[in-house]
Order: sequence, then structure tokens, then C-alpha cells
Amino acid sequence: MSTTLDTPAPVPRHLPALRWTGALAVVAALGVAPLVLGGYYLHALIIAMIFLLPAHGLNLILGYTGMLSLAQGVFFGIGAYVSALLSLHFGTSFAFNLVASGVIAGAIALPLGIPALRLRTYSFVMCTLGFVVIAQTVAKNWISMTRGDMGLAGIPQPKFQFGSTVLNINTIPAYYYLAPVVAILATLGFYALIKSPAGRAMVAIRDNEVLAESLGVPTWAYKLVVFMLSAMFAGLGGSLYAHYMTVVSPLVFQMYYSTTILVIVLGGGVGRVPGAVIGSVLFVALSEALRITPELRMMIYGFVLLLLVFSVPNGLAPLLDRGLERLARISPVTRGGRTHGR
Amino acid sequence: MGYFILEQIVNGVVTGSVYALIAAGMTMIFGVLRAINFAHGEYYMLGTFAAWYVVSKLGIDYGASIVIAVAISALIAAVIGRLVMQRLVNAPFQSGVLATLGISLILQNAVILAFGGGYKVFPGGWLDPVQFFGIGMAQQRIVLVVAALVMFGGLEWMVRSTTMGKSIRAVSQNPECCQIIGIDVEKVVRRTFVLGTALAAFSGALTGPVNVSLYGGMGESITLKTFAVIVMGGMGNVRGTLFAGWMLGIAESLVAGSIGLQYRDSVGFIALLLMLMCRPNGLFTAKARF
Amino acid sequence: MVANQDAILSVEGLRKRYGGVSALRGVDFRIRRGEVCGLIGPNGSGKSTLFDCCTGLQRSDSGKVVLNGRDITKWSMNRIAREGHLVRSFQKTVVFHSLNSEENLVLAGQMSSFPGLLSTFSLGPAAGRRLRRLRERAAELIEISGLQRVAHLPAGNMSGGQQKLLQFASMLMPEPELILLDEPLAGINPVLIEKVIESIREANRRLGVTFVVIEHNTDVLMELSHRVIVLHQGAKLAEGDPQSIVSDPQVIEAYLGV
Repeated sequence: MSTTLDTPAPVPRHLPALRWTGALAVVAALGVAPLVLGGYYLHALIIAMIFLLPAHGLNLILGYTGMLSLAQGVFFGIGAYVSALLSLHFGTSFAFNLVASGVIAGAIALPLGIPALRLRTYSFVMCTLGFVVIAQTVAKNWISMTRGDMGLAGIPQPKFQFGSTVLNINTIPAYYYLAPVVAILATLGFYALIKSPAGRAMVAIRDNEVLAESLGVPTWAYKLVVFMLSAMFAGLGGSLYAHYMTVVSPLVFQMYYSTTILVIVLGGGVGRVPGAVIGSVLFVALSEALRITPELRMMIYGFVLLLLVFSVPNGLAPLLDRGLERLARISPVTRGGRTHGR
Repeated sequence: MGYFILEQIVNGVVTGSVYALIAAGMTMIFGVLRAINFAHGEYYMLGTFAAWYVVSKLGIDYGASIVIAVAISALIAAVIGRLVMQRLVNAPFQSGVLATLGISLILQNAVILAFGGGYKVFPGGWLDPVQFFGIGMAQQRIVLVVAALVMFGGLEWMVRSTTMGKSIRAVSQNPECCQIIGIDVEKVVRRTFVLGTALAAFSGALTGPVNVSLYGGMGESITLKTFAVIVMGGMGNVRGTLFAGWMLGIAESLVAGSIGLQYRDSVGFIALLLMLMCRPNGLFTAKARF
Repeated sequence: MVANQDAILSVEGLRKRYGGVSALRGVDFRIRRGEVCGLIGPNGSGKSTLFDCCTGLQRSDSGKVVLNGRDITKWSMNRIAREGHLVRSFQKTVVFHSLNSEENLVLAGQMSSFPGLLSTFSLGPAAGRRLRRLRERAAELIEISGLQRVAHLPAGNMSGGQQKLLQFASMLMPEPELILLDEPLAGINPVLIEKVIESIREANRRLGVTFVVIEHNTDVLMELSHRVIVLHQGAKLAEGDPQSIVSDPQVIEAYLGV
């Protein structure tokens, strides 16, 4: 039987099938989108998919291990700068940059995580905010590397070479097919993580750290590994972002990014994969598509956060789940395995 | 050289007094609610903006504008206190973080949307220079230090002699017990919240003329520096914030004066990180919270 | 099962203070392999603190804790559990509330079963085999504990008694050599008490698990234990078989009068 994070009743037989159908429908819809939607809407979806990666990362530390970090934007930005610098100075390929960004962001998370993870609750959150500011300061002042506020421009767009054919990803529709490939791979990676025994350990740590320790779970080590993995996810997203926007500046370290990622994960439904997807589509794609100004967007995020704290603490994914559940019960097939009667 | 350092120290005490005032508010709120107000800097910003608006758009004299600005901010804080903050009593810490983050987003961006995102200039203030031990500085700066000292004195008196002060002390030490005794914890939280944010707004109104330029996002860096001050002073320890504030102010001035102005803001964050790693209980581990 | 003479756990001169209070003032004793040892004493005599110091939840101020001949005084809690094959229960019944019973049990056993942290990230065949074995044992324990009806629920939704049974089953999963039980019978109905006692006896006789049990229900404890240690104000007051403890005048004065 698989882990159920918060279904209080026996799962109706059809629910997993419905969930997978829903997922495939979403993927199919995304697949045909370029035929139907114009450039600007595709751009919105691309941005949503780029944000999905750091969202998975945050889901890992927040949803699965219970650590509230506001520093996802830092690793996102680091990934972006790494990709920019590698391609501008060494002309490396997109694939190489992508992997390098992830690895380096994860590596930087190690010396940051070791002291930070000793802190509890508020101190940890404040520490992650401190990282954000340090990243901003470094980006603005290490002029020789980052060119400060001017940023790095002219980042080459991805180019794939198979033998003699060259695939240039330099149009929005083309990018539109690259982004989901990376996003889907990352999502599968995320799934692999949470379904593994390590994923179970993470939930245990979130539920009751002392109990987990008493059963032999090295909680501090897990938290560190998870912190690094989440940074890696964020770094991958940053790389994708850099190659898409072709420009990277210290603005990438603004709180806007960390906040958006937080809202995606919490609003969509923390700790669940569909949650991050719903969150990205709803909060990022929609705001981009409607061309909502950044200020209004942030205000809406503010209200969303308040709503999340006081009304809908688990985000939207459970509501969607409940809808699907109701759908599953409508179908006239007997529900097997319903053993309990109270 | 000695003169240079003296000048930096004096400047540091001035800015430090401001930090101390703001931090006193945040630490008091932490004391009663056990929650860090991530939106605290925004109340400082509201104070500055309210004063600016009153002076430049309504033509009211600066002195009166300070009072009006604090009143407006207090009103907004009262609403927020009732709608949000009091519901955070006994809530898990994530609720506090997210709720106050949400408030900070709303306040910041509401101001930007209302008044535009560009920098504004604060007209007026008591900027005539005065000689202080051979150092020339604007009157406003002296007012800042005096105001801080007066406020801290007032807080000290309030905590000792008034019922409100005693309730605050009681709730800071043991909220569960207070609910049993019959102290209305939520009311104390609301009032402390308004008081704490009013201190921030007051500082904002007073520093408007000194900062000169204001923009909607100015509260963000203030919030982070305030973290540093309250951690240094010991979370919940009001007296500690006075000295911690001065220490931060002086450190900033020395760094700005000797290494470079652009590194000034980093001092606070580095101080915060060092404190969190090495001495998370503050520099003055006084057991008393007040 | 006759208790062996070699000590599985020995504690020497353990001291611990909190602020101004001395919780432990130099405790010495040995637990023999294979026995069920009761630990009694009035409230505040330091029993839970003793458990905490032996399992790494707290660091003692001075003294030594030796498990299977190894000095574990400074070991971390998870290392003691994993390498020392020691598990403990808590006074307050705790389970992983988001996970269902099977998942709770698999988690309890997985750290002992997998060779290292990194191996828990794999989804390969070796991991699959380990998980299969863990799931089989978990199913067995669920059956034995009578939790089948609620096994699919997140553990947080089960009743207090069911959680207690789950907690007990969790402790058997990592195949420990020594189990420390902190008031296992507190707050559960008489039927369940019988069940818990049977489980302790079973585990002790069939699997050879050594038990140290803190319990205020002295009648049950005297019946269950091979030996009893009495703590009073942070030090050992007496130790011996249940009969002699019950009739020891010092003990009666300090505690058993109730």
C-alpha cells in the first residue's frame, strides 16, 4: 500500500486511475498548447515550468522535512549565474550548464546548510533570509565576476547537435518544448526521491524529529542532504531561466523569487507533486498571462499567504483531490477493500 | 584619526538609536506573541510615508506630521492586530512567519501602487546644524537620540508601574498561565503590537528628513537589520536592544567610513548570521526579559 | 528464559543536573542480557532522565553508559538506536501521524535494515528486497497487534490505544536487543494491558529481547519482571528480585506504601 499523506478514508478504487488520467490530460493539453495559444501565453507557461523546479526543491525541504527556507531564490540565482558564466566564458553546451548549475548550487548549499541546520524555527528562517541578502550583495559588488548591476547579457540559447543536424532553441515555441522536458525529468526525479525509503524518512522527520532519531534515523544528516538536493533543483531552474531570458542580473536574487516559490508550494498544496504544478500554473502562468504587474502580484501573494494561514492551510491540491474523489465515487463500480465499519 | 573615529561613533549612536527603537518594538511583540514580525520594517516605512504625505501633500508642519503619522500607522496596526496578529496566539511558528510575510507584501505593494514606485524626497525636517563637541550635525539627529532615550525610559516606567506593563511582563513570561488567571492574552497582544509598531512608525517619521529619499520597499532591509539587533540583544529583552542597536549603528558607521559605503548594509546581515551561528541567545544573556 | 550473567547495559556514576535540580546523583547498575528489569521510584526520582541519558536524548554531566561493552555515553541518539540495537518508548505515545501503520513500521525498521543513509535513496532491486522483507514483518506485526482494521489510516487518526499498540510494534521492527519502556501501561484499558504484557513476555522469551520497564502499576510490574531496581531522588535505593523489593522496608517507606 502506498503512502497516503492525508486521505482519511479508504481510497476509492478509481482514484489513482483518475489522478493519472488527470496528469496525462494536463500533459496532453500542454502538448497541444502551441497550436492554440499565442506567444505570450506560451511564455507564461514556460515561466511556470521554470519555476516548477525550485518549487519541487522547496517542497522537499518544507513539505517533506518541515524546514521553512526562504533561500530557494538564492540557489535559483546561483544556478542562473553559473550557467551564464560558464556559457559566456567557456562556451559550454546547455546540457553541461544545466547539470553544472544543479551540482554547483547543491555544493554551495553544503557549507551554508551545515551551520544553518543547527538552528531551530525562527533562527533558521532568519538565517535563510540572511543568505538572500548576502547573495544580493555579492552579486552587486563582485564586479569582476558578475559585472554588478549591469548583469550578464548575451547568454547563448540552447543548441543541440546530433551528428550533422543542429537544433536551435531560439524561439518561444521551441523553448516551449525544451522546458517541459526538463520539468518532467525533474518531476520524475522528485517522485523517485519521495517514493524511496529516504522519502519516508523525510516525512518521519517532519512529523516527529525526536521519534525518528530514536528509531535510528540520522535526522541532521538527512536534513543536510535534502537541503542540498533542494538547492540542486533550484539551480536547475535557474539555469533554464538564464538560457531563456539570456540576461542575468542581481535582480534574480530579489525576494520576489523566493516569495513566488513559497506561494506556489504552499498555495498549490505543500508536500504533493500536483500541488507544485497547480501552484505554478495558477500563480505564475496566470499572473504572467494576465500581465499582472509585479506589485499587484505581490499583493495578491500576500493575501494568499494570509488565506493559507487562516483558512486553507493545505493549499489547493487537497481540494482538487476531494473533487476527484467525488468523481470517483460517482462511477457505479463497487469499491473493493473497504474493510472498516465504525 | 581620533576625530574621525569619534565622528563615526557619534553617527553610529544616532543610527543605532533608530535601530534600537524599532527593535524594541519587535522584541516586545516577540515577547508576548512568541512570533517574529516579518513585516515590522513596513510599519517604519508607513511612518515615513505618512509623515511625507502629510508634509508634502497637505502642507502640515513637520512636528505635527510626526504625531499624525504615528496615529495613522497605529490605526492600521490596530486593524491588522485585530484581524491577524491576535489570531497567532499559540499558533505554530510557521503561521507567524507566513502571516507576517503576507502582511509585509500587502503593505509594501499597496504603498507602491498608491504612491508610485519611484523614490520620493522628504521635504522639511529640523535640519539646521548644531555643534556637538565640535562635530556639526543636523538638529534632527540629536532629536533622534533624545527621542530614543526618552522612549526607552518611558518603556521602562510603563513596564514597572502600569497595569498594561505588568500584563505584558506576565504574558511574556508565561502565556498559558495568564489565560488561566484571567488576563486577556489577546488584548495584551493587540496592544503590545500597536505599541511595538508605533515605535517603528515613530522612528520612521523621525528619520524621514535624515534619510531624505523614501521608497515602498525601504522596510525590507530595516526588518533584516532589526533581526540582527534583537538577536544580539536577546529576543524579548528590551533593554538589550538599546545597546545592541548602538553596537550595530557604530559598527555600520565604522565600516562605511573605512571600507566603503556600499558595504554598510552588509554589516547587519553578517552580524545576524554570526550571532545565529555562535550566540543565538544574544550577547547579554540576561534572564530578565524586560 | 534464564537471564544470562553478562551485562548488556551498565551504567556507572551517572549524574545530571537541570538548573538547580539534581535529577541523577550517581546512578550505578547493570542490566543482564535477556532479563525483564523493572525500574520503579516515586515521581521525580530520575527514571525518565535515566532513560534519556542512556539513549542519547540528553547528555549526562558525568558518568558512563556502556552498551554491549561499548562506551556509548557520547553517542548520538540515532547511532545508539542503529548501532547499539537499543530502542525506547516515550511516556507520551508518539507515532508518525502522517504515515499509516505499515509505513510507520517500515520506517521503524528501515534504518537498521539499510546499510547507510545514501542507500535509502535508491530504488534498485536490493532496496526493493529489503523493503519487501520489512513489509512482510510489518504485516505480521499488524496482524499480531490486531490493527488490521485501521492499518490503512494515517496513524494520527487512530485511537490512543491503537497508537500505543503501534508504538510497541514499532519498537520490535529494528530487531533490537534492548528495549526501554517508559510507562507502557499508562492510560490504557485493562484488556489492552493484558495484550501489552503478553507482547513483552513473548518478545522476551521468543526473541530474547532484554527489557527495562518503568511502570507505576507495581502489581503488574512485579509479576512481569525478573528483577527490579528502585530509584529514589536520583540514586539507586535498592535492587533485587520482586519479592525482596516488595518487602524491603526502605523501599516501602519511600514508595510502595501507596
